[in-house]
This record gives sequence, structure tokens and C-alpha cells, in this order.
Amino acid sequence: MSAARWLAHQGRQVGTLAGLVLLSGLLSILSPHFLSVSNLLNVLEQTAINAVIAVGMTFVIVSGGIDLSVGSIVAFSGVLLASALQAGLPVPLAVAAGLAAGALCGLLNGLLVTRGRLPPFIATLGMMSVARGMALVFTEGRPVSGFEAGFRSLATGRVLGVPTPVLAAALVYVAAHLLLTRTRFGRYVYAIGGNEEATRLSGVAVRFHKTMVYVLCGATSAIAAVLLTARLNSAQPIAGIMYELDAIAATVIGGTSLLGGSGSLGGTLVGALIMGVLRNGLNLLGVSSFLQQIVIGVVIIVAVLVDSMLKRPGR
Amino acid sequence: MEPSQTGGEAPPALRMRGIRKSFPGVLALDGVDLEVRAGEVHVLLGENGAGKSTLMKILSGALRSDSGTIELAGRGVAIAGPAHAQALGIRIIYQELNLVPQLSAAENIFLGCEPTRGFGVVDRARLEREAGEKLAALGVRVDPVRPVQELGIAQQQMVEVAKALHGEARVLIMDEPTSALTESEIEVLFAAIQSLTARGVAIVYISHRLEEVERIGTRVSVLRDGRHVATHRVGELSLAELVRLMANRELKEHFPKRRVARGEELLRVEGLRGGILQDVAFSVHRGEVVALAGLLGAGRTEVARAITGADPPQAGRVSVHGRELALRAPRDAIRRGMGFLPEDRKTQGLVLERSVAENLALPSAPRLSRFGWMKRAAERALAAAAVADLRIKTPSLEQKVVLLSGGNQQKVVLGKWLAADVDLLVIDEPTRGIDVAAKVEIYEEMNRLTAKGAGILMVSSELLEVLGMSDRILVMRQGRIVAELDARGATQEQVLRAALGQAA
Amino acid sequence: MKIQRLDAKVALVAALALSGCTKPASEPGAAAKPRVALVLKTLNNPFFIDMQKGAKEAAEKLGVELVVQAAEREVDVDKQMQIIENLIQTGVGALCITPSGSREVVPAIAKANAAKIPVVIVDTRVDPKAAAEAGIKLDGFVGSDNYEGGKVAGEHLVQVTGGKANVGLLEGIPGHETGDSRLKGFHDALKGAPGVKVVASQTANWERDQGFSVFQNMLQAHPEIDALFACSDMMALGAVEAIAAAGRTGKIRVIGFDAVDDARKAILAGTVLASVAQFPSEMGRLAVEDAVALIRGGKPPADRKVRIELVTKATLESR
Repeated sequence: MSAARWLAHQGRQVGTLAGLVLLSGLLSILSPHFLSVSNLLNVLEQTAINAVIAVGMTFVIVSGGIDLSVGSIVAFSGVLLASALQAGLPVPLAVAAGLAAGALCGLLNGLLVTRGRLPPFIATLGMMSVARGMALVFTEGRPVSGFEAGFRSLATGRVLGVPTPVLAAALVYVAAHLLLTRTRFGRYVYAIGGNEEATRLSGVAVRFHKTMVYVLCGATSAIAAVLLTARLNSAQPIAGIMYELDAIAATVIGGTSLLGGSGSLGGTLVGALIMGVLRNGLNLLGVSSFLQQIVIGVVIIVAVLVDSMLKRPGR
Repeated sequence: MEPSQTGGEAPPALRMRGIRKSFPGVLALDGVDLEVRAGEVHVLLGENGAGKSTLMKILSGALRSDSGTIELAGRGVAIAGPAHAQALGIRIIYQELNLVPQLSAAENIFLGCEPTRGFGVVDRARLEREAGEKLAALGVRVDPVRPVQELGIAQQQMVEVAKALHGEARVLIMDEPTSALTESEIEVLFAAIQSLTARGVAIVYISHRLEEVERIGTRVSVLRDGRHVATHRVGELSLAELVRLMANRELKEHFPKRRVARGEELLRVEGLRGGILQDVAFSVHRGEVVALAGLLGAGRTEVARAITGADPPQAGRVSVHGRELALRAPRDAIRRGMGFLPEDRKTQGLVLERSVAENLALPSAPRLSRFGWMKRAAERALAAAAVADLRIKTPSLEQKVVLLSGGNQQKVVLGKWLAADVDLLVIDEPTRGIDVAAKVEIYEEMNRLTAKGAGILMVSSELLEVLGMSDRILVMRQGRIVAELDARGATQEQVLRAALGQAA
Repeated sequence: MKIQRLDAKVALVAALALSGCTKPASEPGAAAKPRVALVLKTLNNPFFIDMQKGAKEAAEKLGVELVVQAAEREVDVDKQMQIIENLIQTGVGALCITPSGSREVVPAIAKANAAKIPVVIVDTRVDPKAAAEAGIKLDGFVGSDNYEGGKVAGEHLVQVTGGKANVGLLEGIPGHETGDSRLKGFHDALKGAPGVKVVASQTANWERDQGFSVFQNMLQAHPEIDALFACSDMMALGAVEAIAAAGRTGKIRVIGFDAVDDARKAILAGTVLASVAQFPSEMGRLAVEDAVALIRGGKPPADRKVRIELVTKATLESR
């Protein structure tokens, strides 16, 4: 493909990326602390959790759905993982238990949507409350904290100077990107989101693949729970409140349409980074938390607004 | 033909003159005249696509005509929209009922113009009393306080009529009002229509049931290809003559049909039931195109969707290559080599926002992947071959399908199945809404397929396409196959007569 | 065409980012002035706003620059950790932190230790076990004695009821040291009064609206309740509305904690019996003073108890 064609094809992502670069440039002028290796690593580390949740969210939104339960799944699989660790389970087994819990919540979401024919909004709204409640009941409302160094190294370790959560998030992105663009499953996710009926009539097992999308989203939420628990050395049943909105925001800023059928993980990653850079930068500049909320809200609206304005004429 | 002017009388309730309307690529109405008198039931006849519903949409304000005039009781009007048409006394009752099922009959009748006692408080007593009076005036007994969902279809229709007659109704349009009614319910409706005409309401009555023309009609007008063909007093012409008027279309299009020797049986359908379908049975052989003809709602699309697993049938056997299919989903039919081009390519055939290549490869994805990984070179090769074979005009394989023309979109849908190597194609409306050049290309592709030994079942509303492109014609009426004709030697009139339920 | 459109978008994002940065950054030139950061749980609670006020006054008096930051939600421990990380990055001289989570704050403090930035904990104690395990170093604590506050409230209730009452409790978020200590102090005060029974105890997560609904349900299940101790005024004020809705105003004795302005009004109006006053602005002042002392190489006391006081109608009217 020629460079011009590539640009036209990737236009939306390039635009978002340009926004990120510009924002970073601006912040490095405004704050002397922004453009340092340690601060940039901080930003990546702080973004990792939202970015990983947004991976699953991107799959769900591309397939034409929505998942409001990710924040609660983070809490539920987090406390499960933490309890398993405290019960003396080896780290890999405890992590597997946490991932299984997340995937199971996702499976329930998927079955409610495909077999129960509930709108995804309703099914995952229910799960949002159920998973949160299960986390609270399981822990009697108290955080589960204090883990061995081996587990904590998932958050505190560095490989060649790169914090492990950043590395973990990068791995998740590479794997998920290949899954979405190079596999049959990915093809079907786009097709289902674009036109579910046409996909079904083309012989695709729509219900199965849709269910798997929610399983995947539950699993990435659980990965985020592992990172969060290791980072805080504690799993709280009230963790992850409103994380679903951050994940949806990252996905949408990244150019994925809520109507389904289009979007990319590259865009989502940039979207998550824009949010992370913005929060970090506003912190460095000492902007109040109230004002920060306004700025982030406006960025979400403007990103989508610009997007729809770009799409309207001529297309 | 009867002269349109009846000297000395008052002007007609409705006079439409020289109505023209074109849509992109199609001239739907080509200078239609229509005159309806107060107190008459004017039946409007015409084949699918003759222009009846376009004309009525213009009258009810849903569409604007390109040119032409409309007079109500001798006064010229320019209808600005549905609300304006209502205000002028023009009412329309569509085939599908537009009632709120949970509300009572009275509430539905007064929806949006409830009598109040001031401050927006609904005067329930008055609402129910007046609704009762309106229903009684139609000669029907309906309890005005019952939710309409508890009423029968005919009673619901009466509620709809009562609602339509709000205020001063001068012209009432009824679009196939009897299609969902039983014989005794039809009696009730006709009695109500007579009480309306007695009050001087002009009624435009659209129907496919020819026998109703004689039962209820005063005069009858026939439309064909967007033109007004004739208006007659009921009884002046026999039903056979009416059918001939409706059918005599000009042969405008070129059909490049090539016939090949009929081969072994590919598809056998027996005892198919479900929805409106009743005991449908037929077969399709290698090398032949079998057409399913009939009027809208006769059950043609339902047959296509049932045998392809799109809407699995309630009962019946579908066998491919002599082996029965367990039909639960489309993939059960696809695995056995059956492809389905649905009626509406945009909502059912294509993923519009995805690329040409992805759409073409969709049904073949299992074959194009190993352990779940797409073989990208094979995928591109398949798509490139389909684009070349079908001469799909697209700047690249990555082009979004939504940006292609209708004809090229249809070729992509066809290409999906050619690439998937199916040998039995079920095509619902192969050429709807595409230009003539693309039509011919699709027809040529159908020829190539049958020459290679494939079988095609084609559903079409275009009589000429049915006659010009098939080998055998199955005519459906009210969920049954009522006639089988050899396409060679069959005439438009024969097909239409069977579709309308008139003995040949 | 394409490029122009991208430019338009880029410009918009830029304008937006600028509009969010109305406050100028701390310039290197001002670095001579020591910078103290105060990280609050939240800024939408009058308690922390008072604390911020006291801290600001102290900072002005001492001639240091004060940065105040808070997460959007009081319980968002990860957001608080991000704020601390970012402040460490800007090279503040000292950190004053009100932990959103007693244990969850530990990794963030470890990072401050690593950056050699002194840390003063305010209001909520760090979980000592978690602190010991992580081997973190704390340079000071400033806060009320929550245990003592709970005890004072309990003793007052025993006194006014004459040792006979059915008490409902509204707890804070489980695992919060402040709420847990208040509760423990309250329970201990009841030990000598067997006639005062706790019949129900549930969390209302520090929130006013939850205080309303949780206490409404509690009254439904235990109509015999004639006294309430809420671990914060916010929850107590919510419960007061629930009592009014049940038509039992004046029949249930309510004791809150924090003595915020609304609670003081309610005490004067008679809908709340008493509240335990803390002095957040004093906490803020002391925290900044200690932080500045640490920056200047001093050694402030490791544990400062800020006074508490029972506020009743009598104490308010006598003023």
C-alpha cells in the first residue's frame, strides 16, 4: 500500500496519535517535570490498568455490545486472587483462579446476552451489581492485603528498566491485536458488530463468538485486577468503581464506534494514553481534581465530535 | 374507458392529475390521473411495483410528487406533509396496524387529541362515551375501555378506522385491509365501509384480492408501470379482463437466458410449514433456475428463509443431494453447499462498514484459516479472484462495501457464495434496485452457474424477470404453491392469474 | 484534504489542553521556596476543605508553597497513588497524606521513601502491620484520637439515656482505621452499661444518601431503636432525614462525628443530640508545620494528637 493510501486508511488512528503527541509536547513545555524518563514510565505504569481493561472493552464494543461490569469484575477477581494468595496457593495458581473468576463473570454476561437475549447494557448492568456484591460478601467488605514479594514483583519488578505492569500491558496488546486482526475470531467480531444478521446468514456461529467476546473482556478485567492488586499490595471489594467509564472513554477516544463493526486496539491504546497523560500532566501542573474532570470530559466529547465531523462530508 | 367527467354533478371528492414521481434510477409514477367521488369505494389495482403505494403516499403527505395537481372537492391543494393531509381530511390506514397495544380502544382513538377538563386532565367519561359512539356509528360492538391487545384483529382494525375518522374525514385510504382477516371479520369490515360511504366518505381501496372488487367496489382503476391504464365501473369488465389490463407490460429489458440440460436433483423440499407456509413441496435440479413468483406476502421469502436455515421451518423435510438436512442455523445449509442471497442486501447480505475482501471471505473463513489463524494470502487471492470474475468495480480490496454502487454490492453478495463454492443458490430478489447493466451481468453469472451444474432458486417480484430468467415457475398464494408453469410458453397473465387466485 | 482535517483535530485537542492549564506551573525559579504537598482523600467533604484551609494559612505564615491535590472519589486508592507518584516526580519537599486506604497507601509511601521525600500522615493512620511488612518509614502523624472520640460519644449516650437504650450503628467503610477506631471506642464505652444494647450495625460507606436508606431499613427491621451513633456526621444527617420520614423526630437520639456545620445546626435544632468535634484545620496547620520542619532538617513529634471535643446544644449555646 502506498503511504498516502495507508494514511487515508489509518486516518482516524493517526489523528488520535497526533493528538497524543501534541498533548505531550504541550505538557513538556508547561511542566519541566513531564518529559523525563521516570515520569513517562510513571505515565505508562498508571495507564496500564485502564489500558488492559480497555482491550476487552474494545472487543465488546467492536462486536456491537457494551460491558458495564468490568470495574466490578476487577474487584471480584481481585479479592478472589488475594484470598487465594493468603490461603497459601502458589502465585501462578492464585492468578489462574483470579483469571478464571473474571472469565466466568464474562461467560455469564455472554450467555445472558446471547441465550437470554438481554440487551448488553442490561445484562452487564446486572453483572456490575452482582460481581460487586459477591466481592463484598466474599470479603465482608474488608480489603484483603499483604502478599509475598514474589507476587508483588508483578507490580514492582523491572525488566531492562521497564516496569512489569507496562510489560504485561504491552504483551496483552500485542496478543489481542493479533487476535483481532489476524484470526478468524477477529474477523467474526468485526463482522458481527457490523451486521449481525448478515454474519449469521453467512454461516457464522454468532452466539458462540459473541459469548467468547464477553469471556475475553472478563479475562482482561481479571488481568487488570492482578496488576492492581500487586500494585496496591491489597485487593479491595470496592476497587474499580467507575473503571468501566474510563475503559469506554479510552476505547471511544481511540476511534472505536459505539455502533460496532469498526475500531482498533492501536486506537484504544492511544486513547488510554491520552487519558493517562492528561491526568498525569494536570497533576504535575497542580490543576484541581474538579477541573481535571471537566477537561477529561471535554476531551472525550471533542474526540468523538471531531470524528463524526470528519466522517460526515463526502463519505 | 369511462369518461372521467360526469357532467352536471358536484366536483369529485378527490382529483389527482398528471402525478409524476421519480426515485434515483426509477420512474415510479409517470403522469397518473385518478378521480374518486364522494360515497364511492374506488378500488386501486396493480401488480407489485405498479405505483399504487407511491401514489397513496403522495396523497397522504408521506412523499412529495415531482409534478401534478391534487384537488379536493374542486379546490386545488398542495399537501405539505402527513399532518397537513390529515387536516385536509385525508386519512390512511396501513396494512400494519398502528395502535398502542396496552392502551384501551378509547385511548387509542383519541391518542394525541384527548378531550380534557382543562390543565391537561383527561376527561375520561367523555373520552369513553365519544369513543363508544364512534365505534357504534361504524356498526361494530367493541368495548371502548378494553386494551386493544385483547381485541381481535378485525376489532383492532375497526379501532383504527374509528381513529382515522377523527374530525372531518373526506377521503379514506385503506391498504389491503382484509389481508389478516377471516371471512366473518371481512363481513364486519365491509358493513362498516358501507356505513362510511353512506355518510359520503370517499374510499380508496387497495387490494390484491380480485373477488373483493365485485363485493365492495363501485369503480376500479388499474395502474401499470407507473401509469394509469383504465378506470371502469365494477361489473363492466370481467376479472379476466382486469388481469389482462394489469399484466400487459412492455418487454423493456433484455434477458440473456441460456437454457442447459436439467441434471440430477439437488434440492428437495417436502411438507414445509411454519408461519404462513402450508405444506410447500418442490425440487430444484442441477442446471435449472426455479422461480418462486407471487404477490407480496404470498410466502416466497418465507420459503427462501426456511430452507436456508435463516428462519428454520416448524415442520418439513429439506434434502440436499438426497440427504436430509438438520436445519437449525444457516451454517447447516451452507455446509451442504447452499448459499443464500437475502432480500435486502444492506441489512442482511453485507457488513457495510467492512472491506470488500472481508465480505467476500466471510462464509469461507473456516477454509481460509488454520488453527484459527487467517491465511491472509489465500484470503486475498480468493477476494481478488471474485472481484475479477464478477467484474466488481472497486478501487481496492480494502474498500468499504458501503461505498460501492448497488449493483457492485449485489455482486459482492453473489461473490461471497461463488467463492464459497456452493452449488445451490437461493436468491431473493436478485436485481432489486440495481441498474440495467449490473442486472445483465448478474443474469450472465446465473447462466454461468447453471452451465457449471449449479441449481438456483430465485424469488422475484418482477414478472418479466421470472418469465425471462427461469426454467420453471412456481406460483405462490397465501402460503401455498398454487401453480407450476414451464417458463417457456408461460405468459404474464397466466402467472398473475394464479397469483391472484383466479382459475387459469 | 485528509491532512487538513487532521490538523483541525490536532488544533482542537491543543486548545483544549491549554484551556485546562490555566494555572501556571511551578517554575524552576520559584524552587527556592520549599514546596509542601497535601494529598487529601477528596475535596468534596467539608472536613477536608477545613483541613486545606488550615494548611494554607500555615503555608502562608511559613512562606512555603502548598500544593493540594485529591482524587475524585474518597475511596479511589489507585488514583491517590497516581497523584502521589506524580507529586514525587515534581520533586516536592515533603508530602502530607490523608490515606484513602490504610494499607493501600503503603506502596506509594515506599516510593516517597525511595525518593527521600519525608511523609507526614494526617487523619487516618497507616495500617501498622502493612507498614512494618513493607519496611516503610513515616516521619510523623497528625490526627484526632478517633478511639477517644468514639468513647466520649458512647459515654455521653449512656449518661443521657440513664443506661437504657437500643442503639443502631452506622459504620464507615470497613477497613478504614478512622471508622474502626471510633466504633471500637464507642463499644468500649458501653461496657459498663449493660442496659445499652447495640441491636444493629451496618455500613453506610460514609455517605449521606446511604445514611438515609440504610437507617430507614434499620428502623424497619428494628422499630425498637431509640438511639443512633453514626461514625460520621454525613451519615448521621442522612439518618436524621430517615427519622423525619418515619415521623419519629425527637424520639431517637442521634450522635454523629466530625461536628460539621450542618450537624451543628441540627444540634441547635434538636434533631441531633451531639457530635464529636475534630479540628481538621488544626490538623492541616500542624501537618504543614511538621512538613516544613522536616524539610529544614528538624525533628517534629512522631505522633501528634489533635484535640477532640463533644459538641452538644449546651456547649453551642454557651459560646
